Amino acid sequence: MALTYETRVAWQNRMLLVPALVLLACFILIPAGAAIYISFTNEALSGLAAAHPQLVGLKNYVRLFSDDGFWNSLVVTAFFVFGSSIVGQFVLGLASAMALSRPIAFRPVFNAAILLPNAVPEVVAGFIWISMLAGGKYSTVSRIVALVGIPPQNWLGSLPLLMIIVVNTWRGIAFAMILMTSGLSAVPTEVYEAARMDGATPHQIFWRITLPLLRPTIFLYMLVSTAGTIAIFGLIYTLTRGGPGGATEIIGIYIYNQSFTAYQLGYGSAVAVIMLGVSVAIGTVYVRVLKVQV
Amino acid sequence: MTGVRKLSRAEATAYGFLTVTLVFCLLPFVWVVLASVDPNAALFLSLPKAITADHFVKIFTAENGGRWFFNSLVTVGATTALVIIVGGMGGYALSRTNAWWKRPFLYAIILVRVLPPTALIVPLYKVMLISNGVMDALVRSIVPPDSIRSAMQIFGFVDGYLGLILVLSAMQLPLALWIIKTFFDLTPKDYEEAALMDGANVFQRIRRILVPLALPGLGAAGLLTFIGAWGDFLMPLTFISSSNLQLLPIGLFRAFQRANTIDYGYLSALALLYMLPAVVAFGLARRFLVQTFAGGIKG
Repeated sequence: MALTYETRVAWQNRMLLVPALVLLACFILIPAGAAIYISFTNEALSGLAAAHPQLVGLKNYVRLFSDDGFWNSLVVTAFFVFGSSIVGQFVLGLASAMALSRPIAFRPVFNAAILLPNAVPEVVAGFIWISMLAGGKYSTVSRIVALVGIPPQNWLGSLPLLMIIVVNTWRGIAFAMILMTSGLSAVPTEVYEAARMDGATPHQIFWRITLPLLRPTIFLYMLVSTAGTIAIFGLIYTLTRGGPGGATEIIGIYIYNQSFTAYQLGYGSAVAVIMLGVSVAIGTVYVRVLKVQV
Repeated sequence: MTGVRKLSRAEATAYGFLTVTLVFCLLPFVWVVLASVDPNAALFLSLPKAITADHFVKIFTAENGGRWFFNSLVTVGATTALVIIVGGMGGYALSRTNAWWKRPFLYAIILVRVLPPTALIVPLYKVMLISNGVMDALVRSIVPPDSIRSAMQIFGFVDGYLGLILVLSAMQLPLALWIIKTFFDLTPKDYEEAALMDGANVFQRIRRILVPLALPGLGAAGLLTFIGAWGDFLMPLTFISSSNLQLLPIGLFRAFQRANTIDYGYLSALALLYMLPAVVAFGLARRFLVQTFAGGIKG
């Protein structure tokens, strides 16, 4: 059978995609589908339900609504995302990008310093921050705040949520800075010059020109960063494992603890399905609103 | 005085802000660097009274650190190679095709990228258990009984390297596909067509034309895959349990959990060794970083 050149190329393209498709299907798509199925069962890692999991309908979802642990994890996740990615990383990242857009001496040094926390693996980040925070009056942070008269404390015990927000801010300034730098560089310098000619103050230039022109970049940043922050696991697991008493149990940690510590796979999957839904919603907004070029 | 320009208020603010940020970013690293050369290292920041290289030596002589490092290199190296090959093939096809599924496929990649691994971990565990059973039966039918265990450590899906490599690859693949596809979009079709006219077959075209052309794109995808897989914590935590198969992040984490017997100097040295390849790869990948999250946005 003689195939035309076009048909042959078309088949060749399909064949080239098969390995990628198989990998994605086996380890991402099928698990995502299975999560939905498991969430309707009473599956567990041990006990009776482990041997014979049964369909239980919406029971897991009903349980979600009355489960304080679940609501707690939603609230913690919201604070964590808002505090670290929307406020901390964004404000510091934008400020760094604006400061570094000037002709500044030692720019590569500042740049590298800001990028470094983003480059290190999560476990290392957790490890070095424990030295900063743990151990009461001997910890680095306690010694620093002692200079302004704040009493030493075990920071991960007394202010756990604030501390993981600080650590994640520290880790993610670079992420925001890189995006904001690319956004700022797209603003033509003539716009600023014209504004200055007209006698605009730096304050006015920032609020009337920079911010509005950066809006698409900021929106993109908020979406990507929110999706990324929800998915964080290793950083918090190494710092607190979600404790003390669930104070830092963001939703990913809650799923892990429910599934592998409490062995409730069905219930854990119901939480996972909620989390998948939120992530897919963010991804859909991203694709639609930003009209991604393909 | 001439020659000395007074800083404007805006410049002074910029320097002040950047200096504070620099201290905030670098301060946590001071401890790990000092502790790694301090013979009496503790959890708290202090200036070493003497300097030693013992902690680094110990990684490769006395303790498990060298083994963890080697294990990480092998699995992450294999993951990177696999992603470059599979992503290279797929990225090329995605760039060259005009079929109806192109757009849905690319949108699906973006959606797959935002799925949090923690939300997939439970069903993934089941997939791995089932695959492991199949592989176990297969290995039993081929390999002599006394080497089944060691074969499963390589080819197993739970507590074995093959499964971990495939999972890590799947997690990094969407980004790699995207980067390589974008890269091939920028390389002209003319060279391929010329080679085709000259009678080069598929393999010749790949080896002589496509791979050299795509090298920067494949390199960028490879670097980002390496960074992602090297830093991954959840997958080795969930799927590797044998101590001789352990990867660096989990080895480091577990050693740090052993409350009473922590050797801070040794762990600091190990943490430095662990972060080094990631930092180097990050430095090399820096100019591609915008692409990783801007994925597809013009500019």
